[in-house]
Amino acid sequence: MASVTFENVTKKFGDVVAAKDQDLEIKDKEFLVLVGPSGCGKSTDLRMIAGLEEITEGKIKIGDRVVNDVPPKDRDIAMVFQNYALYPHMNVYDNMAFGLKLRKFPKEDIDRRVNDAAEILSIEPLLDRKPKQLSGGQRQRVALGRAIVREPKVFLMDEPLSNLDAKLRVQMRTELSKLHDRLKTTVIYVTHDQTEAMTMGDRIVVLKDGFIQQVDSPLELYNKPNNMFVAGFIGSPAMNFLDATIHKDGNEYFAEGAGAFNIKIPDMFKEKVKEYDNKKVVFGIRPEDLTDARISHDLDITKENSFEAEVEVVEPMGSEIYLYLSVDEHSMIARVDAESDAKVGDKIKLGVYTQKMHIFDNETEEAIF
Amino acid sequence: MPLTLKDIAEMVGVVESTVSRAINDKEGVSEAKKKEILKIVEEYNFKPNKLAQGLAKQETHILAVLLPGLSQGNYSKIIENIEAMAEKAGYQIILCNTHNDLTKEKTYLDLLEEKRVDGAVILGGEIADHQILNTKLRGNNNIVLVNRLCEEILIPTILIDSSYGSYLATKHLLDLGYKNIALITGNNNDYIESEKIKGYNQALIEQNKKINHNLIIETDGSRSAGYQAFIDLVNIKTPPDSFFVTDDLLSVGLVEAVKMGGYFIPQDYPVVSYGGTIINSIIEPDLTRVIEPLSQAGKMAADILIKLINDKQAEEKIKVLKPTLKKSDSTKI
Repeated sequence: MASVTFENVTKKFGDVVAAKDQDLEIKDKEFLVLVGPSGCGKSTDLRMIAGLEEITEGKIKIGDRVVNDVPPKDRDIAMVFQNYALYPHMNVYDNMAFGLKLRKFPKEDIDRRVNDAAEILSIEPLLDRKPKQLSGGQRQRVALGRAIVREPKVFLMDEPLSNLDAKLRVQMRTELSKLHDRLKTTVIYVTHDQTEAMTMGDRIVVLKDGFIQQVDSPLELYNKPNNMFVAGFIGSPAMNFLDATIHKDGNEYFAEGAGAFNIKIPDMFKEKVKEYDNKKVVFGIRPEDLTDARISHDLDITKENSFEAEVEVVEPMGSEIYLYLSVDEHSMIARVDAESDAKVGDKIKLGVYTQKMHIFDNETEEAIF
Repeated sequence: MPLTLKDIAEMVGVVESTVSRAINDKEGVSEAKKKEILKIVEEYNFKPNKLAQGLAKQETHILAVLLPGLSQGNYSKIIENIEAMAEKAGYQIILCNTHNDLTKEKTYLDLLEEKRVDGAVILGGEIADHQILNTKLRGNNNIVLVNRLCEEILIPTILIDSSYGSYLATKHLLDLGYKNIALITGNNNDYIESEKIKGYNQALIEQNKKINHNLIIETDGSRSAGYQAFIDLVNIKTPPDSFFVTDDLLSVGLVEAVKMGGYFIPQDYPVVSYGGTIINSIIEPDLTRVIEPLSQAGKMAADILIKLINDKQAEEKIKVLKPTLKKSDSTKI
């Protein structure tokens, strides 16, 4: 068990920067998820920890030891990928044990490790079976078992579930989280899937173009994104962004959008927008923080917390409805209660839970609140 | 001066790409023009410049074959077949002897990363190391492993089930009624040798025989080690009544020692060998031996690699080939 620390880590491939001046402290026994779109550098980060990629600048520590020059085999890590190899002529036991055998571990030690891993993964009855006799989920567990028997200080997982069908992926997500609880080991997990990140991580690192955008717990990321990228990346459907201008009216501040809306900034955020009077900003609101004013039970609709929008598509999801709307020239989505009877072409009033709204700097895209 | 595409284009009055399309039987050329072009190609015995073609497509038509050393007899057969298959498909091979040295291996893997070869077959050795892993992960480079395992990811692999071969050999001796079968192996660090021990154990267990670890000798795989193994084993408290030797070179040494001791094969000690390479053919008597499908392994490795290079491999697979037992004079009682 160990912490992993990045100190000013930079990785360049020629002129391409895959990691830029990254500082990160992954705590011992933490389940940390690296998430971001394709090409953001998340797999590069993982490979640098593994020692597969050399770092260009900075330091990586596993525990207290700087591992920049430590070969991968001596780093006490184990990697799990989506595309693992189970050898068809070997039974489950041998598929988990061959690495230890070839490293000359004593037989008793191998037995203990494989049996322990099999118990943790609940695959003890399968040890004599060949891979073709296993289900997809069981195979995935064997691949995990091969990593577990190495008893590493840190598990590195690179999109291990992305080859599975949707149902199995959801099941394995839960299993991996439980596994982490049982192993009590540091897990660093790479995914492009924000749902996976939100449901599994103790903390999440959001990456873009090699830069760390934010490191936080799932809820903090969701509720307090640092910038528009994080706000848009985390959450599904994604946060709505509308161009707006801050203006002051008496003691109040408003986010005004080309005559289409004029939302009052709640008192708790007033201080933060003082400097932005008459400046362009981006107004952000999550789909679930909008409501169909006609069926709103817990929001007193006023002209300062609502605006009109035209319904373009209605998508009933069972317990709720997704409304695809147009406001001025912008498109947006509202996730409203299933009671809503909004129809395509209707002009409806949308209520805004203003305490949940976000305002971003128009130029830097950083969150003002 | 040989004729070039440009020359043909000028002769026919079309652009070079039209000539190229006609030669490569691609669409977009009228039948009449195609006929005209192909007639000139035949008349002047035009051969497209492979180097120029390769440069244009960023292909070298060269495959690297990485191996830990040439001393093991079975590599030559595999390489021979990789070469034959490669040649048929218009590829040449270069041999890269790594001597199990990571620095050397890195130099050869760099050929792949730098696109100086189109793909690599990596033969034998221990577990696929971080360099192989990274070469595969980085640019999704075309690699096929032969008799080498990888713990982390699936790389197309050809494996010969040497455990099964060893099982066949041991079972054969058991079926003949021998009870104390000695196993002489090469280096157990090698995946293949460890698999052979597994097969030996499995055959014994299946027939409810106890595994006597005193009868299992691990050696460096040399001829002298085979010789020494016999001397060591005949002097133990319960000496063996038969021998299974997992490598040809070891067999040569062991047979020498048996004969030197004044014993007869198979009357005093039946011997089963593993490999069936040329070394085996000069031993008297002819040895019963496990024969590995080496030609098939080589052909298959090259075939998969070339398909990968040409994006024709639908999915990455592991193929396991089974050895056979050729019974001969050394176990004929």
